[in-house]
Amino acid sequence: MKLSFVLNGQPCTLDVQDDALFLDVVREMGLTGTKEGCGVGVCGACTVLVGDDAVSSCLLLAGCVEGSEVWTIEGIAEHDPALVQAFVACEGMQCGICTPGQMVAAAALHRAGVPADEPAVRAAMAGNLCRCTGYGTIVEAVMRYLG
Amino acid sequence: MVTEPGGGGKGSAVAGARRVGVPRGPHATEPRIDARAKATGRAVYTADVGLPAMAHVAVTRSPVPHALVGAIDGTDALRLPGVLGVFSAADLARAGVGLFGRRVVDVPVLASGKVRFVGEPVAAVVADTRAAAERAAALVDVQYEELPGVFDPLEACRPGAVLVHDEAWAYEGAVVSAGDGPNVQSRQRHGDPDAVEQALAGAAFVVDRSYQTPAGHQGYLEPQACVVDASGSSIDVWASTKSPYRLVSQLAHCLGAAEEQVVVHPVLLGGDFGGKGSPMGVPLTAALSRLTGRPCRLALRYWEDLTATNPRHPAVLRIRVGADGDGRLAALHLQVVADGGAYAGYKPVPGAVLHGFGDAASGYRIDPLCIDATIVYTTSVPKGHMRSPGSPQAAFAVECAIDELAAAVGLAPGELRRRNVVRSGERDGHGHVRRQSLGVEVIDAAVDAVTKAPAPPGWCHGTGMALTERATASGETSIRLRAVDGGRLVVEVPFPETGTGSHTAVRDGLCRLLGMEPAAVEIRSVGSAALPRDAGVGASRVTASISTVLGRAADEWHRRGDVDTIEVEVTGDDQRVSSYCIQVAQVAVDPDSGEVRVLEVLSALDVADIVNERAHQMQVDGGAAMGFGFACLEDLQLEGGQVWAGHLGEFRIPTARDVPRWRTVLVRGAEGLGALNVKGVGELANVPTAAAIANAIADAVGVRIRQLPVTAEAVHRAMSDRDRLRSGEASGSGTAEARP
Repeated sequence: MKLSFVLNGQPCTLDVQDDALFLDVVREMGLTGTKEGCGVGVCGACTVLVGDDAVSSCLLLAGCVEGSEVWTIEGIAEHDPALVQAFVACEGMQCGICTPGQMVAAAALHRAGVPADEPAVRAAMAGNLCRCTGYGTIVEAVMRYLG
Repeated sequence: MVTEPGGGGKGSAVAGARRVGVPRGPHATEPRIDARAKATGRAVYTADVGLPAMAHVAVTRSPVPHALVGAIDGTDALRLPGVLGVFSAADLARAGVGLFGRRVVDVPVLASGKVRFVGEPVAAVVADTRAAAERAAALVDVQYEELPGVFDPLEACRPGAVLVHDEAWAYEGAVVSAGDGPNVQSRQRHGDPDAVEQALAGAAFVVDRSYQTPAGHQGYLEPQACVVDASGSSIDVWASTKSPYRLVSQLAHCLGAAEEQVVVHPVLLGGDFGGKGSPMGVPLTAALSRLTGRPCRLALRYWEDLTATNPRHPAVLRIRVGADGDGRLAALHLQVVADGGAYAGYKPVPGAVLHGFGDAASGYRIDPLCIDATIVYTTSVPKGHMRSPGSPQAAFAVECAIDELAAAVGLAPGELRRRNVVRSGERDGHGHVRRQSLGVEVIDAAVDAVTKAPAPPGWCHGTGMALTERATASGETSIRLRAVDGGRLVVEVPFPETGTGSHTAVRDGLCRLLGMEPAAVEIRSVGSAALPRDAGVGASRVTASISTVLGRAADEWHRRGDVDTIEVEVTGDDQRVSSYCIQVAQVAVDPDSGEVRVLEVLSALDVADIVNERAHQMQVDGGAAMGFGFACLEDLQLEGGQVWAGHLGEFRIPTARDVPRWRTVLVRGAEGLGALNVKGVGELANVPTAAAIANAIADAVGVRIRQLPVTAEAVHRAMSDRDRLRSGEASGSGTAEARP
C-alpha cells in the first residue's frame, strides 16, 4: 500500500506492506534511533510522536499514520536542542537503549503542558522502562526540560 | 561528615574513614562521552548494523520441555517467498559445528536428538527479510516424542529422577563425575559440617529457616542480537556481547575455526547485567552465514529473551545460624539447591558455580561456616549470570535469618551486625584476611543517616536493614594510546561499553593521570583483532582493571616522552579490596490488604576514590532499583519447565513510578586498586535490598516473608495466619528457636 505522512517535518510517500509495523518502516528508512525493546507496547523504547501523542511504534500499523505528522528521536533532537541538552547535562542515560523513547515521551509531556512536578513526571513516564539508572537522572532531565 | 545527595548530614569522623556527600545536579565536568550520540538516536547497537546482501535468521523453538526430536519438515517453510533455507542439527553437524559453552561445553547450537526446555532452538530459517524468516520458522514442522520432564530442583537430585543428560560428566569441561548423583550440574562445598553441627548444638540461639527465590531475568532492554559475516574466509561478528575476546575463543571452538579467523567488531550494548556474556545466537548465525554464503542477522524478539536465553537461577536455601548470649555469631550452615536448567554452559567460572553462594555471609566473622550449594539440571531454560550471580539469593536468606537471630538475642539488627562484621586485619568466615574492612563504619553511617519516612495514614511503618560484602580485583585487559595532531590523544580500548560508563571512566582516569582536558582525549572501542586480550565486562572488575592498565600506560607515557604510540597489557591482579554495602529500607504496609509500599532505600557503602561521581551514583541507584525489583516485582513464573511471564507486561521490572526514594551515604577513605585507587561498585546495591525490605515488613507488621517476590497476597496470608494463631493459642509462637 501507499503511505503518505509527514516525517520529522518532511512530507514523504512510501510503499509498505499492509501489515508493516511503523517501527520497522522507520528503521528500514535508516532512522534506527527508534528502538525495538519488548515488542508489546510496554517498555517505550520504540516511542514516536504521532501528532502530539507518544505512541509505541511496535504496536502501530504503518497504515495508521496516513496523513499524520510523525516525529522520531532524530527529528526531535534536531528541532529541540533544549531536550537534548537536558538529557546530556543530567546524563539521563546509561546504556542508552531506552533513551530515544524516554526523550520522545518527554517531548509529548512538553506538548501536553505537563508541569515540572516530580510525582506527575514519574507517573507520566511510567510507560518508559529503564533498567540501568534507577530513574533518578532521567526524571532530573525531564524536570529540567519541562521547567 | 555524613551527607547524602541533595541534603546536609551530620556525624563525626570515623577512624580511617572520611565521609562526604555526592554532588547532584548537572555534571560538574564533561558529560559521559556517549551522551550526545545516545540523546540524538545516533548511537549504534547490534540490531542497527546492516551489511550489504544481509539475510535474516529466525529460530523454530521447542514447544515441549523434554522430548525426542523426530522428523523435521521444512517443506512448507521453504515455499514462502524469500526463504533461502531451513536448517537443523544435522546440517550443522555436517558443517562441523559442535557444542558451545562458557566452561562446560554442553549447549547444542540446534537441539540434536532431544530437546530439554520449552524454547530450545530446534531449527532455523534464513530468509531475505526478518518477517519472511519468522513466518517460515513458524511453518517448520517438527515431530516430538515427549518424555517425562523434571522441573523441581529438589526432585531432580533424588535417586531415580528423570535424567536431563545421560552422561553429563562426559561433556568437554565437565565439572562433575559419574558418581555425583543424578542431574548435578555443579557443586560447591566448603567448611566442616561436623564442626558447624557441634557449634550450633552449643549455641545459645539458633535460627533455622528456609527461603525461596524465583527465576528472574536480567531485564536489559536491548534484545540479544548478532550480525555475522562468515561468507568469506574470515568470520566478522557484531554482537550484543560483553566479552568479545571470550566470544572469539568460544565461537572458533564451536565452529572448528581458527581464532585468528574471528573478529568481533565494537558496538554498543543496550544493557547486560550478566545476561550477555555467552555466545548465545552467534554460533548459529555464523554457521548459517557460512552455509548460505550471506551475512546474517539474528535479532531475538523480547519474548525469546525472557523464555529462552539465560535467566537468574531460582534457588531454595536453608540456613542455620547460631549466636551466643552476646549475639556473637557461633556458626552458620547454608545449603542451597539451585535450578540450573537444561545446560551448564552459561556459567563461566571454574567449577560452573555461582560465587554468591560460595561467598555467602562474607561480611561476617563466623567460624565455623559451611556452604553446601548444588546446581542441578532440570528440563527448563538454562540459567546463567545476573549481576553478582548467586549473591542476591544468598543475601536474602542470610540477612533475613540474621535479623531473626538479632530479635531472638534481643539486640537491634544493626547492633548484632556491628558486633560481627569483619574488622581490618581479621579473617572472614571463608578464611580470607581483610587488610581493610570498613563494615562498622558503614553500619554506623547508615544508622546515623536514617530519618523516618512518612507512611500513609493507617498503614504500618517498618524499617529493615541488610548488608553485603564483596571483594573486587582487577582483570586482564589492554589499551593503546596514540598521540594525534593538535596535542590530542586517541585511546583504544578492548572492552565494550555496556552502559556503565566504562569508556568515560577511561577518559576521566587518563585526564587525571596525565593532566589532560577531557576534550583532548578521544576514546575508541576497537575490534578484538586490534588489541591484546581483555577478560570482558564482569565481576565488578572493569574500573579496577582500567585503574591498573591506565597506571601502567601513564607511567610509560611519562617515561618515554618521545613516542607517539604505546600499548600496554595487564594480567589480572591477586590483590583484592573489600567493600561493604548496607541498605536500610523503609516500608509502609496496609494492614488490611497486605500491600507493601517501599518508601525509601538508603544505601551506605565504603568507597576509595571515585573516577566519575555521576556514573558511580547511577550504579548505586540502578543497583538498588534492581534489588527492589527482585524483592517486590520480578518473577519469570517458571512452571512445568516453561517461562509463563513471556513479555515485559508479565515480567514486571520497576518503572519510574514504582521505585522508592533512593538515598546514598558514602564512607570515603577506603583503599582501592591501581593508580586511580578505585573499587568496584556495580554489584553491591542490588544485593541486600530484598532482605532489607523483608526485614522492614517484619518490623512493620510482624510477619516474615521468606519467598520472593513479596506480594500483597503473601503478606496478607501471613498476617491472617498469625492472627489465627494468636486468637487460637494464648502463647505466641516465637520467630526463632531459643535455647536453652
